[in-house]
Amino acid sequence: MMRDIFVMSLDAMRSYKVRTFLTLIGVIIGVGSVIMVTTAGNSVGSFVQVQWNVFNPTGMVIGTGTSGPTPSLSIRSVVFTTNDVDKIQALPNIKAVAPIGIVPLKKVLLRNGFLQWESRPGDIMYASTPALLEILNAELDTGTIFEEGKNEIIISKSFSGVFGKDKTLKVGDTIYIQRVDAKTLEAKIVGILKESRTNYMVGSIATPAIICPTKPYYSTYFGSNVGTIFKRVTAYSVLLAEATDIDHVQVVQDEILNYLNNGSSDAGQYKDKNTVFVVITQQYIVSRIDQVMSVIRTYITAIALISLIIGGIGIANIMFATVTERTREIGTMMAIGAKRRDILQLFLYQSTIIGLLGGIIGITTGIIGSAFVVNLLNQNIQALGGAISQVGGIGLSYSVEWFAIAAVVGVITGIAAGVLPARKAAKMDPVVALRYE
Amino acid sequence: MSEYVIEIDSLTKIYKSGKTEFKALNNVTLHIRKGDFVAIMGPSGSGKSTLMNIIGCLDRPTTGRIMLGGENISTLSDNELAEIRGKKVGFIFQKFNLIPTMNALKNVALPMVFLGASRADRERRGSELLEKVSLTNWATHKPSELSGGEQQRVAIARALCNNPSIILADEPTGNLDTKTGEQIMELLVALNKEGKTVLLVTHAIALKRFANRVINMLDGEVTEET
Repeated sequence: MMRDIFVMSLDAMRSYKVRTFLTLIGVIIGVGSVIMVTTAGNSVGSFVQVQWNVFNPTGMVIGTGTSGPTPSLSIRSVVFTTNDVDKIQALPNIKAVAPIGIVPLKKVLLRNGFLQWESRPGDIMYASTPALLEILNAELDTGTIFEEGKNEIIISKSFSGVFGKDKTLKVGDTIYIQRVDAKTLEAKIVGILKESRTNYMVGSIATPAIICPTKPYYSTYFGSNVGTIFKRVTAYSVLLAEATDIDHVQVVQDEILNYLNNGSSDAGQYKDKNTVFVVITQQYIVSRIDQVMSVIRTYITAIALISLIIGGIGIANIMFATVTERTREIGTMMAIGAKRRDILQLFLYQSTIIGLLGGIIGITTGIIGSAFVVNLLNQNIQALGGAISQVGGIGLSYSVEWFAIAAVVGVITGIAAGVLPARKAAKMDPVVALRYE
Repeated sequence: MSEYVIEIDSLTKIYKSGKTEFKALNNVTLHIRKGDFVAIMGPSGSGKSTLMNIIGCLDRPTTGRIMLGGENISTLSDNELAEIRGKKVGFIFQKFNLIPTMNALKNVALPMVFLGASRADRERRGSELLEKVSLTNWATHKPSELSGGEQQRVAIARALCNNPSIILADEPTGNLDTKTGEQIMELLVALNKEGKTVLLVTHAIALKRFANRVINMLDGEVTEET
C-alpha cells in the first residue's frame, strides 16, 4: 500500500509539473551551492596545504617593521650587517642565515659585438651568500656557486631565456648589468638554478632572477661613500634564516629577536627607533592564510546553508498551498476509506521526493559548478602570475562528507518542510474538507 | 443478524461554535432495511447532510446509537471509521469529487488502495466496474476529459469498488441536466435491484418516485411519508 501511495504522490507531482519544477530549483540551488562552496573551499584549502609543503616550513624572514597581531615588514630600512649575519649564524638551532641585498636593476645587457648591445629591462637581483640557495631550497642545474668578490652571478632557469630562445644564456656567458645608479658591471654566469619549487611569501621576497655576491655588485653602506673604506659597513634590509627543524622554529625566532634587541647587535644600533625587529616565519604566514581561508569558508558555507533553508521554506510554502488547494480531494479520499496516516504519507512522500531529487540534482550541479569555480580561481591565480602559479594550479578537491551533509540536509529539509502541511492535511475533518469550495 | 442494515436510535448531534449550540439532529430514530431505496428530503439546514455524514461514518453522533450492519459505530476511532467507510459505504457526491490527477480507472479503484489491494486486483475490478457503467473506452481518460454524466458514472463505479452494502448519494443529479440525471437515477435503481441499500439525499421532489421510502427532515427531526 505504501508503494501505491508513493505512486499516487508521483502522479500528483507529475500533474503539477511547473510547481514541482520550481520547488525543485529552490532545493537544487541550496544543495548545489553548499557543494560548490565547500568544494571550492576545500580545493583552496588543500592548495594552501600543498603550498605549506612547498614553502620551506623552517624558514623565516628577519627584518624591521611593525609588530603586533599582524606584523609587517619594511625592506627599505637597511640595518643588518655582515657581523649580524655571522652572530645569528652562531646561535643554536640555526641551520643557515643569508642576507638579502636588493640590487635595483635598470637593465641587463648582452654584448653581441663591438658597440652592439642588446638590452632588457631589469629583474630581481639579490646580493647574498651561498647559504641563500639552501634556504630557498634552490639547486644548481648546471655550473657552480659564485665566489665572493668576483664578477660572477647565478641566474634562474627562467631568466636564462630573457634574450630570446636562440640566445639562451649558458654557464660561461657574460652579461652586463646596469644598476639604477647607472653603474654598469660585467657579470659572468657561473651557475644556473633548477626551476624553483620553493617560494617565500613575504612581500617582495620572491625567488630572484639573479643571485650575486655582495662584492662588487651590492653597495649599500653605512658611513660615508667617499670616506675611508674602513668606516664603510655593508648593510642589508632583510635576512633569511632557517631553523634546524620544524620543532625549533619558535625557539630560533625568540633567539634571533633576543639577540637583535639585547643591545649587542649592529642592527639594534642602526635601526629607526620607530620600528621594531620582526621575524616572520613561514609557519605564521601559512597559518594566517589558513585562518583567513577558514573564516571565509565558514561564512560562505553559512550563506549556502541559508539558501538551503530558503529552499526548504519554498517546499513548505508550496506544500501548504497544495494541501489547501486539494482540500476537497483529501475529504474525498477520506470518504472512500483513506486513513489519516495515508493522507499524511501522500503529502510527506511528495516533499521527501522533492528533497531527495533536489539533493541528487543539486549534488550533480554542485560537482559541475565547483569544477567551473575552481577553474575560474585558477585563471585568476594565473593572471596574478608570480610565485603561486609556479607550484601549479588549484586541484579539485571534493569534500565527500559535505556531499553527504548536503544530501541529508536536503532530504531532512524536504521532510521537515512537508511535515506541517502533511499534518494539516491529515488532521482535516472530512465533513469540512468535503464541503470546501 | 438483524433485518435492518442501518439502525439509528435516539440520535442527537449538536454543533458547538463558541458559546452557541446548534442542534443539527434531534433525537432521530430511523431503521432502514437491506434493499431499501430511501429518499431523504428536506430544505437546507434541516439536518439531512448531518444524518448522511453520520451514516457514512464521516462524523460521530453527540448522543444516541447507530448500528451499521449490526456493528455499533457510535464510538469508533478515526481509523476504525475509515475502514468501515471503505468497506461498507459507497459515496456519491453532487460534484462527483473525482481525483483530477488520476484517470478513470485509477479513480474507480482508489478505494481498494486504502485497503491494500494489489495493483492487478485493482485493475481487474476497475475495468469490471467501468464496463458496468459503460465507460470501458474511457478508462485512461482524466476526469477533465469526461462529461458531467460520465464523471458521475465513474463516481458510481468508484462507490461500488469495495462492494459496499450501502450507497450514499448526496444530490447526485444536482450538477447534471434532467436527461443525464434520469440516467444516473436509473443506474441507482438498477443497483438497488441488485440488493444495495440506497440512501438518496435530495431536495428535488421529482426524484421521490424512485424511492420506496421517503423521509422528510425539518429542524433536525424526521417524519416519514407513507
